[in-house]
Amino acid sequence: MQHITTDVLVIGGGATGLGAVRDLAMRGIRAMLVEKGDLTHGTTGRYHGLLHSGGRYVISDPQSARECAHENVVLRRIMPSYIEDTGGLFVTTPWDDADYGEQFVAACQETGVAVEELAVDAALRREPALNPKISRAFEVADAAADSFFAAYGIAHAARQYGATVLNYHYVVDMVRKGERVVAAIVEDLRSGEIKRIEAGYILNAAGAWAGKIAALAGVSVTVRPGKGTMIAMNHRMVNTVINRCKYPHDGDIVVPIHTVAVIGTTDVHVADPDVFGVTADEVTFLLEEGEKLIPGFRRYRALRAWAGVRPLYKDREVSSDRAISRAFKLLRHDERDGVGGMLSIVGGKWTTYRLMAEQAVDVIAQELGVTRPCRTHEEVIPGNEEGKHFWLGHNLSCVETEGSYGELICECELITREQVIDAIVAGGAANIDDIRRSTRLGMGPCQGGFCAYRAAALWDEIRHTQPAGSGARTILDQAPAVPVGVALLHHFLQARWKGLRPIMWGEQVRQASLDHLIYHDLLGIDLLPAELTHRPDRASRLVTEHPAIATEEHAV
Amino acid sequence: MRDVIVIGAGLSGLMSALVLAEAGYRPLVLARGYGRTHWLGGTIDVLPQADLRQGLIRVIEEQAQHPYARIGLSDMEAALKRFRSLMVAARYPYVGGLERNVWLPTALGALRPTALLPATMAAGDMRLGGELLIAGFHELRDFFPRLIAANLQAQGVDARGLYLTLPHGRRRREYTPRTFAELFEQRDFREDVGRQLGYARGMATRIGLPAVLGLEAPLQVVQDLQQLSGAQVFEIPTLPPSIPGMRLVSIFERAITAAGGRMQIGSAVVRAEHGGDRLDALYSEAAAREQRHEARGFVLATGGIAGGGIQTDYQGGVWDTALGLRLQSPAGRAEWFQSGFLQELGHPIFEAGITTNARFQPINCMGEVIFANVVVAGSALAGRDGQQQRNSSGLALCSGWYAAHGLSGMLAA
Ligand SMILES: Cc1cc2nc3c(=O)[nH]c(=O)nc-3n(C[C@H](O)[C@H](O)[C@H](O)COP(=O)(O)OP(=O)(O)OC[C@H]3O[C@@H](n4cnc5c(N)ncnc54)[C@H](O)[C@@H]3O)c2cc1C
Ligand SMILES: Cc1cc2nc3c(=O)[nH]c(=O)nc-3n(C[C@H](O)[C@H](O)[C@H](O)COP(=O)(O)OP(=O)(O)OC[C@H]3O[C@@H](n4cnc5c(N)ncnc54)[C@H](O)[C@@H]3O)c2cc1C
Repeated sequence: MQHITTDVLVIGGGATGLGAVRDLAMRGIRAMLVEKGDLTHGTTGRYHGLLHSGGRYVISDPQSARECAHENVVLRRIMPSYIEDTGGLFVTTPWDDADYGEQFVAACQETGVAVEELAVDAALRREPALNPKISRAFEVADAAADSFFAAYGIAHAARQYGATVLNYHYVVDMVRKGERVVAAIVEDLRSGEIKRIEAGYILNAAGAWAGKIAALAGVSVTVRPGKGTMIAMNHRMVNTVINRCKYPHDGDIVVPIHTVAVIGTTDVHVADPDVFGVTADEVTFLLEEGEKLIPGFRRYRALRAWAGVRPLYKDREVSSDRAISRAFKLLRHDERDGVGGMLSIVGGKWTTYRLMAEQAVDVIAQELGVTRPCRTHEEVIPGNEEGKHFWLGHNLSCVETEGSYGELICECELITREQVIDAIVAGGAANIDDIRRSTRLGMGPCQGGFCAYRAAALWDEIRHTQPAGSGARTILDQAPAVPVGVALLHHFLQARWKGLRPIMWGEQVRQASLDHLIYHDLLGIDLLPAELTHRPDRASRLVTEHPAIATEEHAV
Repeated sequence: MRDVIVIGAGLSGLMSALVLAEAGYRPLVLARGYGRTHWLGGTIDVLPQADLRQGLIRVIEEQAQHPYARIGLSDMEAALKRFRSLMVAARYPYVGGLERNVWLPTALGALRPTALLPATMAAGDMRLGGELLIAGFHELRDFFPRLIAANLQAQGVDARGLYLTLPHGRRRREYTPRTFAELFEQRDFREDVGRQLGYARGMATRIGLPAVLGLEAPLQVVQDLQQLSGAQVFEIPTLPPSIPGMRLVSIFERAITAAGGRMQIGSAVVRAEHGGDRLDALYSEAAAREQRHEARGFVLATGGIAGGGIQTDYQGGVWDTALGLRLQSPAGRAEWFQSGFLQELGHPIFEAGITTNARFQPINCMGEVIFANVVVAGSALAGRDGQQQRNSSGLALCSGWYAAHGLSGMLAA
């Protein structure tokens, strides 16, 4: 078994863990992060896409509202290129309590959430697709944020400060020496190697899985898994984030992000979080709620559905899940459980990831006797120096100025050959789903119909020209006896299919039938021998199946 | 007034229109766009079994409701005979027949069975031995020679993949299969490629190229390349748009027009007008303008789900888009699909189609004919078991031929 030592080990490659490893490295602390899937594989890659202004929580959770309002300003400064400055509106529809608006404004003022009332006709001029029957509209600083690009950017920034960020490294056990956690046992899912990582301190940032990690270390952390479903519609009916002006509930926000508009979410307690799916009821519900905000919503083409699991930390006996604070909790296991060497950070929002990281790292730094202060709120993340927000036309204008039409691998999302190769070689993607996360390949209307074949072929070609260990690492690093391209293709099509099934009707059924024609009738993928289309053993664990999440039952 | 209207310009619609035009009618083909021809590889797939005739006999004996059972072997032969003679006349001959299948390599390196194939693909027949060279161009995103060769090799086929250099001065802004088809029509382009193939050939006796070897005279292109390279040359279908499919369509279009028919592509049929059990007229929509078309008889060849002839909604409704017929389908949306995208059984919803009697007239759940002057053809038909049987193009040709003959007989009576 390989032994590795580091000052601090961070578990979890979501926004929180990544924010922490960057902060640690910037304070000069030797830090390492392990993530069992690809970065953003957890809740961070399955969220709603909203950089909160705080407006949503001003009444239900003022603490969270304050944190969001603060971080909204910070993130726009340090990582503007991952954020599209859409602005946000809270609108009162005929279904909403007409009095909520007054309370909302008062609470915004109290919590420091910038808000301004907009005349209804001005709101409708700005967003003509909105329900004309709205009675009030308030403008806030909501924005759309790409959690995938942000994660890769933060990881890159952390590495520049010397941090090590490892994906496909699964924590399988935690080692205690008496009353102190001293190491984690990690399986490298690519090579199958087991590694022992000794750390002066461990930060458990495993989100909804934090209970599992804690249990491995012999302490109890109860995370309530609350599933939330979202649907991406193939059209931006609005260019502003639209919220219902009411006490937070389900299906009350539409976020325009990239080429789609995403409606969400639901909140369902999941008893067995390993096998959950998006249900037909949830889909119907979301479409009908969408209809209230944007008449005709149901008639647009639904592209994809997915669900994320809220890492809500259950503190004491709170009666309902909605009553659990969205604010985060820092659990000092030394004070709480008498076990040293580990800190858990649970709850919170994507919007507050940096603040969560800062507070966690403050504690760790103190433990390690490091006095350097946090600078993550000041230092811009590399690639954001120009201070420009994300612009939807960016890819198209690149393709136009470079004249790279012929190089497009994914025509829906305008992803070029160069970007795909970069994701494979420099990005170290382990499968095509990883390429998707780092480029948006396969996220458009055809959901991989054309680009999956091309990406798989490029993959094989790179593997044939680049010896193993040169950076282009695949699922199996041992030189494969048979080409892996088709297996990756198969895997990717199946990964896309999961999120398509719940929203399959209308044009999307036709699209799927054309994709099926291509892969089945034209390419005959089903006629290839199984050893070409399916990778046995370990590789199958790298698929993006929804991993186990700690439940109350599981938590010790 | 045109006497008959064919809705749909896929293989089934085109075949029907040709039969009707040759029977002396003046068919009008109305279609929203082209059909599956532009998606598939231009081969005629009938059934996947190696012993095709045996397989057909079994389907006909055991599945009485299957369109093949209704058409019968001798009419299937007759339909394919007409197809073959059409293609020979256009100097784009097809080889094969209903006896046995031929296995051809796909753009993924899989081996796919087919009954009839263009002569330009004949040297891809896997029964022929010898080393294979698969060649393509970096510029063509829809064909990856190394992937194909590696997968063929993994199945025990001696194959090698390589990229050719795009001949000088041929830079374009974008490269689609169509761009290449146009380039291959130029003699000097062919000569350059042929010479490159000659150098690269080595021990290979056969060379597979993407199916982009010209639109107008592909056989000539293949012959030129064979002469220059010294090996047999064959086409492998690429991702859509399919050049072999385009060739088929234009040959049909010319024949239909020459026989007195008319093609109107870009017109979606949106509703119908009927009196009792006869359909009187159709309304088509193009560029937001509605047009009324009267006729005595109609062929519904709208291609099922993939062709856009059948639509679905989120409440589980399934209907035909041209005439508005409600269709039977699996109970709820949850039953429409399998959990695996490429699962063996295929997806029930993709089999949705219009139930007909033995003459392919649409019937309701009581078994009564809905419109006596309408026949259905191709993937719009129910009960074709298309995903299991890989039969969409064969079924399109045969059912198009058969339905049109039936309609012609009914109108004459
Ligand atoms: C439906 C939904 C919608 C949301 N929408 C928004 C929104 O619009 N705006 C907003 O600000 N917030 C939103 N949130 C909240 C936000 O998404 C989360 O708070 C945030 O992403 C949590 O990030 P994290 O890093 O803490 O957790 P995660 O992203 O879940 O990261 C934890 C990581 O730990 C890894 N891990 C687990 N076990 C192990 C192990 N044994 N070994 C190694 N690694 C392991 C996981 O794979 C995972 O990647 C939403 C949440 C949900 C559920
Ligand atoms: C900011 C943002 C913007 C996005 N924009 C787009 C976009 O423009 N286009 C697009 O296509 N996607 C978009 N997505 C969604 C994205 O493509 C993924 O769907 C999302 O990241 C979830 O990953 P996944 O689909 O791999 O999840 P998967 O794990 O593949 O699952 C998809 C869904 O299927 C269900 N499921 C999983 N496993 C099972 C099972 N065993 N049984 C039953 N059901 C199961 C779950 O509900 C799951 O959420 C966006 C996501 C984000 C966060």
